[in-house]
Amino acid sequence: MSVIETNNLTKNYGNGKGIFDVSITVEKGEVFGFLGPNGAGKTTTIRNLLGFITPDQGSCSILGMDCFKDSARIQKKLGYLAGEIAFLDDLDGRRLLQFIGQMKGIENTNRIEELMDYFELDPRGKVRKMSKGMKQKIGIVAAFMADPEVIILDEPTSGLDPLMQNRFIELVLEEKKKGKTILMSSHIFEEIEKTCDRTAIIREGRIVAIENMESLAGKKRKTYIVILESEEAANRLKGEMLEIQLVKGREVTIMSNGNISEMLQILSRYPVKSLDIKTQSIEEIFLHYYGREEK
Amino acid sequence: MISYPLFKRNFIQSLKPLTIFVSILAMYVIVIVYMYDPKLMEMLTEYQKLMPEMMMAMGMSGASNSLIEFMETYLYGLLMTLLPFIFSIMMCNSFLTRYIDTGSLACILATPNSRKKIVITQALSLILCITLLMGISTVIGIASCQVLFPQQLDIETYLILNGCTLLLQFAIAGICFFAACLFNDAKQYYAFGAGIPLCFYLIKMLANMGEKLDVMKYFTIFSLLPTDLIVAKDPQVIFYNIALAVIGIVLFTGGILVFNRKDFSI
Repeated sequence: MSVIETNNLTKNYGNGKGIFDVSITVEKGEVFGFLGPNGAGKTTTIRNLLGFITPDQGSCSILGMDCFKDSARIQKKLGYLAGEIAFLDDLDGRRLLQFIGQMKGIENTNRIEELMDYFELDPRGKVRKMSKGMKQKIGIVAAFMADPEVIILDEPTSGLDPLMQNRFIELVLEEKKKGKTILMSSHIFEEIEKTCDRTAIIREGRIVAIENMESLAGKKRKTYIVILESEEAANRLKGEMLEIQLVKGREVTIMSNGNISEMLQILSRYPVKSLDIKTQSIEEIFLHYYGREEK
Repeated sequence: MISYPLFKRNFIQSLKPLTIFVSILAMYVIVIVYMYDPKLMEMLTEYQKLMPEMMMAMGMSGASNSLIEFMETYLYGLLMTLLPFIFSIMMCNSFLTRYIDTGSLACILATPNSRKKIVITQALSLILCITLLMGISTVIGIASCQVLFPQQLDIETYLILNGCTLLLQFAIAGICFFAACLFNDAKQYYAFGAGIPLCFYLIKMLANMGEKLDVMKYFTIFSLLPTDLIVAKDPQVIFYNIALAVIGIVLFTGGILVFNRKDFSI
């Protein structure tokens, strides 16, 4: 049985907005990424999973329980970080965490202190006056404080500085080792690449692809940018048995899938001024799903 | 059945407004009781002769012979009906609408407490707040009467009068509560939750002017608090009370059902 499961989940807000036929499954111990441009339906899907909204069609379940009907039972085993964090503004940071802890029925507060130390969170002062990053840290602490089995995170690192982003990634990897199941939406390819086993890409409310991150890494291609001494030489190079992507003046971009020595032998016969290696980023692999660059 | 941490938070949140409203009501109750004076009564009767429409609109008309009648006329027409209602609007806003409007409801819903449990906690907190407000001001009323005019207050009738007023406030709080559960937006909540009771009050003011406008009294919830009948110990009052209780129960139950099923964009 999958830990998180959605079957043809549909929530239509009209005007093409909403989500349509979203079917994903997240297995136990898996970190599942959820990637897509703004307004693609990531948060709508997550709201369904949290039981904040009811689907028009289809169903979703967590640990075999219906996300809307059994939300209170699911919450015993779920940690959640909202994308748009709104807290009880009248409290200070520590009171807020205490209150959420009480609502969750947590007796042991050691984990809260531990997480606050880990993220260097200073909980003094009213939440209303806190910066985005501070609120985000409180949200992360609240999501992980009950040591939940399943964790749903909506854009978890927005507002965090790079140091804290790295700490967050380490935390996710640690939880993954403990066998926790995590679903996280993100814009940041790097954090998805570092943490996720599989990633779904959603666009205009529909899942366009679900990629296995390991096999995706194998698909990464390298390109070599060669600058020659003259345009004439560059034109000559075009005739060689190489996969040439682009020739622009004296600059030639060559694609290669591993047969480097062959390429180097060919290049040795040419007046090469410089050679640059560019690794295709996971971002570039994904960007074509976003459907922007074609326009 | 209810969430204690949330209930505790509600209580702490309501302490400040509760203190302020109790103080205002206490001040008015004491001032009105203090004003009870046969000589002043003559002057007020003069006012009624000079500007009858104005005084009638405020519900400040009729003979005021005993202390209870005096209080009924000058307290229950305006202050004891409107102030607890304003308090309800504020409390309902901080117990429900603020969470829904800002999205901070997510903090509360993302815990192992069912929606039902949460909304029932908020409903009971609201009812408790109004009961406390009415209860404390009743005690202050009795105390100030006993100090200023010992033995002159018909305590039993006074208690019934306040009980009926509490029922009216319960029904009005039901309107606020239902609106808070129904709408996702603070503006809409105020437009309906506060707007409907205010319209009722305006209708009541018109109905009080008498003559042709008298028929308006069938279109306002405030007619269900017939203070003159209560003071006259009319047995019909019980039907008015039942009507108020039914309205309140229906609205609170309806609000709970709506809250349980609705979509929250949080």
